Amino acid sequence: MLDRFREVNETFPKTAEILEQKRRGRKVFGWLCTYVPEEIIHAAGILPVRITGHTHETELEDGSAYLYANNCSFSRSCLQLGLRGEYDFLDGVVGSSTCDGARRLFDLWRHYIKTPFNHILTIPRKQTEEAHALYYRQVVQLKEQLEEFLGTRITDEALQESIELYNKSRELLKRLYDLRKPDQPLITGAETMEVLNAGLRMSKELFNEYLEGFLSDLSAPVDSRRPRARLMVSGSVLTNPEFIKSIEDQGALVVADELCTSTRYWSDPVMLDGNGTPLQAISRRYLNNFPCARMFPSDVRFNRILDLVRDFRVDGVISQIIRYCVTYAHDLPLLTRRLEAQGIPILALDVEYGTSGSGQIQTRVQAFLEMLDAKRK
Amino acid sequence: MRHSVQLTDKLDTLIRACGVLLRMNKARPDARESERMYYEMLSSYFVRLKNARDEGKFVAAHTVFFPSEILYAMDIVPMHTETTTWMISLFTGECADLLAAGSDLGLAPEICTPHRGLAGAFASGALPRPDVMLWSNLICDNTAKSGELLMEVNQCPGFFLDHPFQHSEDEMQYLVAELRSMVQYLEDLSGQKMDWDRLSGIVDRMDRQIELFREICELRKAVPSPFHFQGFLELLTIDYLFPGQPAAIDYLETVRQELAEKVASGQGAVSDERFRLMSFFIPPMYLIGFLERISQEYGAVSVVEPFFTFWGEGRLDPSKPLESVAEKSYMLPEMRMYGPLDDRALKSIVGCANDYKVDGAIYYADIGCRHTCATIKLFKDVLHDVDVPVLTLDCDVVDPTVTSEEEMREKLEQFFELLEDR
Repeated sequence: MLDRFREVNETFPKTAEILEQKRRGRKVFGWLCTYVPEEIIHAAGILPVRITGHTHETELEDGSAYLYANNCSFSRSCLQLGLRGEYDFLDGVVGSSTCDGARRLFDLWRHYIKTPFNHILTIPRKQTEEAHALYYRQVVQLKEQLEEFLGTRITDEALQESIELYNKSRELLKRLYDLRKPDQPLITGAETMEVLNAGLRMSKELFNEYLEGFLSDLSAPVDSRRPRARLMVSGSVLTNPEFIKSIEDQGALVVADELCTSTRYWSDPVMLDGNGTPLQAISRRYLNNFPCARMFPSDVRFNRILDLVRDFRVDGVISQIIRYCVTYAHDLPLLTRRLEAQGIPILALDVEYGTSGSGQIQTRVQAFLEMLDAKRK
Repeated sequence: MRHSVQLTDKLDTLIRACGVLLRMNKARPDARESERMYYEMLSSYFVRLKNARDEGKFVAAHTVFFPSEILYAMDIVPMHTETTTWMISLFTGECADLLAAGSDLGLAPEICTPHRGLAGAFASGALPRPDVMLWSNLICDNTAKSGELLMEVNQCPGFFLDHPFQHSEDEMQYLVAELRSMVQYLEDLSGQKMDWDRLSGIVDRMDRQIELFREICELRKAVPSPFHFQGFLELLTIDYLFPGQPAAIDYLETVRQELAEKVASGQGAVSDERFRLMSFFIPPMYLIGFLERISQEYGAVSVVEPFFTFWGEGRLDPSKPLESVAEKSYMLPEMRMYGPLDDRALKSIVGCANDYKVDGAIYYADIGCRHTCATIKLFKDVLHDVDVPVLTLDCDVVDPTVTSEEEMREKLEQFFELLEDR
């Protein structure tokens, strides 16, 4: 079953499903960050997919020429694929003011790639009531812009259906993550990442169907022995399962992750409590979501990381921060102190987006695992 | 927090340096009156900061583009962290120590030197400990993320001012609410009340200040252009440290008068003006002297800096002081780089190139500044369409180890040759 997810990832961006949807006349939109409310795009009848770069490490000549070498390799990698026409099927792009890399990627995408629909949302950095009011207006504007572009109305019923569909994905992913909690987890971190990546790149209808089947097949632990260490991977955007595999090949298991392609993407459902409209519920969920390092105060994020550490009984954290991803780089000293106060060691790795875990990284992971071994004795 | 670099409070050094520069200035018969005023103002800023503790004043450290009008109106002593840190570096040559102290805190090399160094300045003791830390997300992620670590380093409370990305009515409302919350926060913390009449007066003067900035820009359109390269950093510093302050009005009126006299007499900033340049971002501060010299040597003069001296449209209303403080933040020249770079923003660059009769542009590509470097290709393409070549100079605004005077000279000479050939 995992092969079905792998196939999506290996053929992305031009997957069989995306091409088929286009052939049938359905519009496909790319979104750039987890603060973009995907349900609204879906409720408009559009297939939303996340724009990512090459899953593996590669040359980024075009991306670097346009965004300069000091922008994060994730932004450059996304732009590289866009400039090369890999996303030429997109009918729209929705970005957000999340970070410098994201907003500049949007600027250049709009100028050079010229996807027919372009929209960027202001994302407040706080979760106050005033911030919620502002973000809600941004969400309303996105909906109105989409309606104008499509010449159609996005109804509350359609939004409600999209919420239920997306919440179903979140519920299934939670079940998947629960299988990582036992002493002998039923799925590896690398396999989990294959599933997560596919979830960003296919329709949720199909993803849910695949994931339900996949979950029903999972019954045996990945190894008859306990893992050498239970690790969490935290930090910048990450989509390469090989990176996780290079860690797990050394006997450890990645049992939890705090990434915008993983827990921060799926963990919080949209709460339809009957007191507000579907749009209000979506808006509240996206701003209140498990925060990215851009948000203030950072302790909200740190506390959720500490919760994950406890829930998944994590022995150590691997922080992987893409070079020039400064929001995470600024948080690192603060997070390190908070983890160390709880007796959780942290290994900080500077990486490039798409890295599969080079020799140097493997060496550092090995030393980290040896330190964890010694700590346990 | 532990750190290996220990420095002593450097405010005295800064004050002494300003005094030396003033004395040197007085000894030069050709010195500008505005230059004398500038160093006097700098000195007064740092003296006020130094004496604040003894006088029982409340000190607020804040990052760049933070609305310090609010602090002046509340009689809180502002400490502009970037300017204070990098003046220390300029006058003491201790850049490496400041950066090392920042690295000791765990800040990665990719974090821009201005912010890594200022964290180092607090950690090492080069800057005095403030009563409160204030910061905002203007103008980049580094400013947005710098405050919390500084709160821990200084063991002081802090307030983050969330500046919205775009300029809609909703966003203005949000920003005004943020400012109102901050005023309340500062009142509670300092025990000092906001003087709304005083804030109105500051806004009124700020409006005049912006008008003067615009008039100075207009005068720079003259051929030959009368404005010295060094003056660009003076204008920035005045805006950073003295928003809406009477001394700033006096200074700017003096600059305007000096420029008007030069224009009237046909006198340029360089003796033989050959190349009129547009400058993007901030040149390396430690090479300002060299840039002034090469400017004279080749008759090359920076006539406009679209993102640093060219203010946006609009007026401030003293009867709505908080709204005006919010509005001002959108009029800042730098704001064109922060919001979405749409066609309007790009057209303003082309407009500058035409209005100021620009022959070429120089892009100071600060290796630590991601959001500005990400526009190099875009601006090059836009300016290419109006036949303005762009030279990209890789550098760091404060760290002298990134590029040398020799490298800079070689590239500039090649660029001037290219302009000559055209």
